[in-house]
Amino acid sequence: MVEKKKEFRKRDFFYLVPLWLLSLIAPDPYLYHKKEFRKKDLYYLVAICLAPLIWPDPHFHHLMVLAGIYAILSLGLGLFMGYAGQISLGHAAFFGIGAYTTAILTARYALPTFLAFWASALSAALIAYLIGRPILKLKGYFLALATLGFGEIFLVIVRESTDLTGGIIGIFGVPWFSVMGFSFDTYLKQYYLAWGVLTGLFLFSKNLVRSKVGRALLAVAASEDAASSVGIDVPKAKLDIFVLGSAFAGLAGSLFACVMSTANPEAFSLGFTTLIVMMVILGGMGTIYGPVAGAILLTWLMDILSRYQEFSLPIYSVILILLLIFFPDGIGTRLNVRVIYLIGYWAKKKKRDEGKL
Amino acid sequence: MDSWTYFPQFLSSGITMGAIYALVALGFVTISKASQIINFAQGEFVMLGGVVTFSLLNGLKLPYPVAALTTIVFVVLVGFATYLSVIYPLRKASILILIMATLGVSIFLSSTSGLVFGTLPKALPPFTSEQPLQFLGISMLPQSAWVLLSTFILLIFLYLLSHRTLLGKAMEASSTDPLGADLLGISRNLMVFLAFGVSAGVGAFAGILITPIFFTSYSSGTLLGLKGFIAAVLGGWGKNNGAILGGFVLGLVESLSLLIIPSGYKDAVAFVILLLILYFRPKGILGSPFIDSRRW
Repeated sequence: MVEKKKEFRKRDFFYLVPLWLLSLIAPDPYLYHKKEFRKKDLYYLVAICLAPLIWPDPHFHHLMVLAGIYAILSLGLGLFMGYAGQISLGHAAFFGIGAYTTAILTARYALPTFLAFWASALSAALIAYLIGRPILKLKGYFLALATLGFGEIFLVIVRESTDLTGGIIGIFGVPWFSVMGFSFDTYLKQYYLAWGVLTGLFLFSKNLVRSKVGRALLAVAASEDAASSVGIDVPKAKLDIFVLGSAFAGLAGSLFACVMSTANPEAFSLGFTTLIVMMVILGGMGTIYGPVAGAILLTWLMDILSRYQEFSLPIYSVILILLLIFFPDGIGTRLNVRVIYLIGYWAKKKKRDEGKL
Repeated sequence: MDSWTYFPQFLSSGITMGAIYALVALGFVTISKASQIINFAQGEFVMLGGVVTFSLLNGLKLPYPVAALTTIVFVVLVGFATYLSVIYPLRKASILILIMATLGVSIFLSSTSGLVFGTLPKALPPFTSEQPLQFLGISMLPQSAWVLLSTFILLIFLYLLSHRTLLGKAMEASSTDPLGADLLGISRNLMVFLAFGVSAGVGAFAGILITPIFFTSYSSGTLLGLKGFIAAVLGGWGKNNGAILGGFVLGLVESLSLLIIPSGYKDAVAFVILLLILYFRPKGILGSPFIDSRRW
């Protein structure tokens, strides 16, 4: 007579409940490569549209505006880091370039914000194109260091060229974003603006990664030598996605300047770069749903932590390190698989214990 | 007034700065001798060296040498703790994860030391007199001479460690050929663990040396660490004498650049040098044993 074991361990509940809850929110890249359009996408869209109406709290709206802007930024970075397999620690600089372009054009020269919006993307893309060619030759640590160096140079220039950028104080009085006389002056309107732009860019990226370009990027990430041997122009592919990611960052920066109505250098420091790279990593590399989820998650985390005043940075860094140690592939990755595995494990457990399997 | 009249003065301050960058760069090179990990928290060890010594001197009223030694031991323990808590669990992770984790450590150390030791900038008393030495019309702080001397002694010590002891040879073996080192029975994890301790000690030593010259505050470590890394790359990644040479070149160029550009842009000079050296000669001035030029 085999001694009957316990059906399940109590501690399994601790894994299952949060994992199941997370799997509802976080997308799993490993299950997402088959169908082009899923019902889940529609649910996400409906949730985005209804969320601010169901929860009419201005603070929530403002947080989600920021989350949307960071999501645009980390979407572009996710294409560069997740799909092309490169490292960039200087993406905050392109965000800053976008913000300053908008701030200077609208606050100084009184251009319409809609024009400044596109000019920001153009200027960020142009600078990315100029520095991309020499920098993207590098790999690994040295690529990270070079992009980080670019970010620091940008910060120094912004701080010192007082005539152009207002120095440390920055530029104030950037007008609200407006199109054809319709001004986005409340948090609710800004919410729909940020998430509308994000939805558009998201659809664009989604089509991009399914196209020839996206497949080429995956090949470059896997092996540059192999990619070039099948006829992919590796430097061009990397440069293209770098410029595209920077243009996304420019758009996000432009929205940021309009929403916060200011642009100052403290917003684009190394700490901010760390934050957006963490958004991409925690969401999961090699997926376009991931950066968006990571952006929402980390914006909320930062908001909760900001209550703890001077303890927020130590707590934040500890959480960051723990997440990196326990979820290096991103929180959402293989979550569904893990849950399904656990359920299957329990389902078969009885039979297995009885010796039937 | 023409700024060229200050040329000798810029030269002497550049040499002092160069010695400091060289010391920070040595910390990076020490870890690179055991594994290809780059510790972005290296600058925080330097910062901790200055800040902890300050609070031991002024809070506990310890004599100077005792405080300095205690600090070095403390920071070495912090280095060990960093390795055990962050690097060891992530030893098989990708480069990006390691970069982010060490940046996380850097944020943790700087913000925690801001909490514990206060956010005000701190200055230690110099080792000997404060009277500037006059030499060929250049005035130089005695502390600068101490910095130069200590850099030289530390370089000899690190040379002996890496070239004349079995431990140093084992470290180098585990860096250049991990599989071969494993086959020879060298514990790679132990080597990286010890290298972290040594590099944290070197960093703390640098911090104690420079705090009498420059104010050290909780946030000054990051930039110093980055510049030390740039110095290590400039001289030749993975070489002790490369780190020293790179440090002095960086310090001198940064200091002499004040002759032609406004002083606010000084911090950008190091990063411009970095971009140039990475583009034209990623091996560095002396050439790096780890970087194969074909792959760049």
